[in-house]
Amino acid sequence: MGRQYEIPIGAQHISLLEPLHFKFTTENEKIVATEANVYYVHRGIEQACCSKFKFRQVSFVVGRVCGLCSISHTTAYSQVAEKLLKIEIPLRAKYLRMLVIELDRIHSHLLCLSHVAENSGFEALFMKTMQYREFSMELLEAVCGNRIQYDFSIVGGVARDLKPQVAQSILERLKKFIPQLDELMDIYKNNWTLSLKNKGAGAITKEDAMRLNVVGPFARAAGLAIDVRNETEDLLPWKEVGFEMITETSGDVYARNMVRLRELYVSIRIIENIINGLPESALITETKAFPDGEATVRLEAPRGELFYYAKGNKTQILERLKIKAPTFSNVAAMAEAFTGNEYGSAPAIIASYDPCLSCTAR
Amino acid sequence: MKTFFKALGNVFKKPVTTKYPFEQTFIPDDYRGLIGFDENLCIWCRRCEMVCPPGAIVFSQDMEGKQTYHFNRAVCIYCGECVRACPKEGAIFQTAEPAPCALKAENINNGWNKLFDEALASREAYAAEKKRKAAEKAAADKAAAAKKEEENKSGN
Repeated sequence: MGRQYEIPIGAQHISLLEPLHFKFTTENEKIVATEANVYYVHRGIEQACCSKFKFRQVSFVVGRVCGLCSISHTTAYSQVAEKLLKIEIPLRAKYLRMLVIELDRIHSHLLCLSHVAENSGFEALFMKTMQYREFSMELLEAVCGNRIQYDFSIVGGVARDLKPQVAQSILERLKKFIPQLDELMDIYKNNWTLSLKNKGAGAITKEDAMRLNVVGPFARAAGLAIDVRNETEDLLPWKEVGFEMITETSGDVYARNMVRLRELYVSIRIIENIINGLPESALITETKAFPDGEATVRLEAPRGELFYYAKGNKTQILERLKIKAPTFSNVAAMAEAFTGNEYGSAPAIIASYDPCLSCTAR
Repeated sequence: MKTFFKALGNVFKKPVTTKYPFEQTFIPDDYRGLIGFDENLCIWCRRCEMVCPPGAIVFSQDMEGKQTYHFNRAVCIYCGECVRACPKEGAIFQTAEPAPCALKAENINNGWNKLFDEALASREAYAAEKKRKAAEKAAADKAAAAKKEEENKSGN
């Protein structure tokens, strides 16, 4: 047995985008144990939602929990509030919510892929992926009026309608994007340099993934078929618009890349189906009721299962709001998956988890 | 190897980025921009102030009861909730114009906090004054009624 060294990485580090701290115990460059600390950005959002803001305003507050999956948070909160108010939203609003969630998934997955490339030392691919990602940001801006904080879902429906010319431009841009995605798929799959850092790195078995309660692309890369879109039908009709489960088996960084890239094809198909079959109805269900009782909602954010719990007491202010973000579920497995890898692969592995610490610590 | 030649080919391509100050970036037609206000149409119900999530709208009131609208573009999140809540169409509306930057002289944070508190205080003062006047009027009416009754009694 060689001598052991402890190497900290984070909370501020050049290869980390988020305030995340890992302490690696290494032995001859091999990682033997990892400790993770994720609570650096506590903002007290849950408390603010239960004291300062009225329940209709909370959907705008939770949109600021995370910049990347803003629409997932607002939609999940809107759904939980609708359950408390006991209202059903119009069908068109449901379809528009799904449309924006899928557009958001495209830009979030491409961002993650680009950072995996960058942290693996492939700067040119990082720039290429970011270049191809730009179209999804512009489409989101055209649909929601803003690049990052969409504020699209509100309690009872959606805030804006989809204009026909915007819908047309989405279809056109997606058609242009498909060959670009094929090109990215080819590079991520077959590039030899990238495979050195990605194949076999950060692998986790299916049994471990199940034991450690992993969610999202991280779990699907290990062969665990978990996706909230496959499990729930009551709030958003995912299967109607052509959802398909994507899984890989090896559970390493390469498999996570493949899951994300293949999910993009599914997202594109879902968006096309939504636009071609968009039902005509009102956008919002008006009600004057106050939230009462308890409710929970699960929603598939780009990083995995997002969980909302809310409790109302027939007043404007909620009694309790609990947010459980996907990264929080993955922290245990994140620390586990480093074991047995080279220290040099650590940045690429961290990027492949797609950690979102703003969601986790709220 | 294929990637290497492709990367080499990129040297001769034009950059994909937009040269921002000289070239306009993509802005959609219905961009969420500044909130506009039409004083002539407003019915002064203060519903926009009530629904505003960050509290970027506040109404102050002078002693005659006339209300004034205040809006802070640095606090506003441009969600359009005020426009949806407005019962009078066109009184408050969203334009496609991006908000300009704030200058130090504007004192946009501390000045706004002070203005916000003052506006609430001015409304409270007006309400207290109104209540006092109402009480005075009620007392005067009561006195007048009592006097009248006495007169009636003495008349009998």
